[in-house]
Amino acid sequence: MRKVDLCLSSEGAEVILATSSDEKHPPENIIDGNPETFWTTTGMFPQEFIVCFHRLVRIERLVIRSYFVRTLKIEKSTAKEPVDFEQWIERDLVHTEGQLQNEEIMARDDHATYLRFIITSAFDHIAAVYSISAEGVAVSDLS
Amino acid sequence: MVKLAAKCILAGDPAVGKTALAQIFRSDGAHFQKNYTLTTGVDLVVKTVPVPDTGDSVELFIFDSAGKELFSEMLDKLWESPNALCLVYDVSSEQSFNNCSKWLEKARAQVPGSSLPGVLVGNKTDLAGRRVVESAQAQAWALEQGLECLETSVKEMENYEAPFRCVAKQFHQLYQEKVEVFHTLV
Ligand SMILES: Nc1nc2c(ncn2[C@@H]2O[C@H](COP(=O)(O)OP(=O)(O)O)[C@@H](O)[C@H]2O)c(=O)[nH]1
Ligand SMILES: [Mg+2]
Repeated sequence: MRKVDLCLSSEGAEVILATSSDEKHPPENIIDGNPETFWTTTGMFPQEFIVCFHRLVRIERLVIRSYFVRTLKIEKSTAKEPVDFEQWIERDLVHTEGQLQNEEIMARDDHATYLRFIITSAFDHIAAVYSISAEGVAVSDLS
Repeated sequence: MVKLAAKCILAGDPAVGKTALAQIFRSDGAHFQKNYTLTTGVDLVVKTVPVPDTGDSVELFIFDSAGKELFSEMLDKLWESPNALCLVYDVSSEQSFNNCSKWLEKARAQVPGSSLPGVLVGNKTDLAGRRVVESAQAQAWALEQGLECLETSVKEMENYEAPFRCVAKQFHQLYQEKVEVFHTLV
């Protein structure tokens, strides 16, 4: 099985929900493979988005590139529909002035069909997420 | 096109007209209530304000502390993570104006490390004969503090939308500045 970045629209991933959207900085920017584009939050927290893999995947490593994110919660689901999310990871990020946050999370071969990212607080009024990459393998298609 | 969402807190001494201002804004000037009992707890007014010349808008969540729980734990909770400040005084009360610095300090302490868009509002201009705080005096202080400044009379329904349009515009500008920063990071 080929190890790939599963969190890319070119790999079939899709953002199916986001609590906020600026037409100029839509949530699709998180998975478009372009490191320069980003999604912006547009106001009060919490804010969240859900990534759908359209298949069951096994994740080994997650990398989140962002700015001004303070507390990040990640939930996962292995259901066919975006339901039954379970708490997976919670991180307090550090602010790095003038430099993107580059948060690396080692997973223990966790399975998922959906990931839900919830930003519960930020270091400023507005935060941005540039990319999420999820290194791992596709396990099976959803029938 | 973007619709932003901002938590706007109302600050100022009791009886300066904070609740009256929020309520008249909610009802589009439909009524000014002369006498009403202060409910305890929190009142939330939610209203979308367009930002001129942009097609964008800001949904304001205006948090009013209805009651006397000033400086209490409840106020701390109510004031958590504000995005904008509407600081109100009564033009016929010197003390309410002097206390503004105290309110401003407390509001800014809620957002350490980031700026807080805000407007200073001198209310009750209809009480012309009893005015003790001059516009120029308020303007000078507001400028010093980096606040916008304007006057209203909720009673006469004068200028009551201006404070909210003003903070909406400031928050929209802040958003654009942040987006600029996000661009420069890559
Ligand atoms: N003359 C006058 N009275 C006002 C004005 N705005 C509010 N009031 C009155 O001032 C009193 C206190 O108002 P309120 O909104 O409860 O003040 P808060 O404690 O700051 O929320 C009420 O009796 C209002 O009717 C105004 O523009 N002019
Ligand atoms: Mg009140």
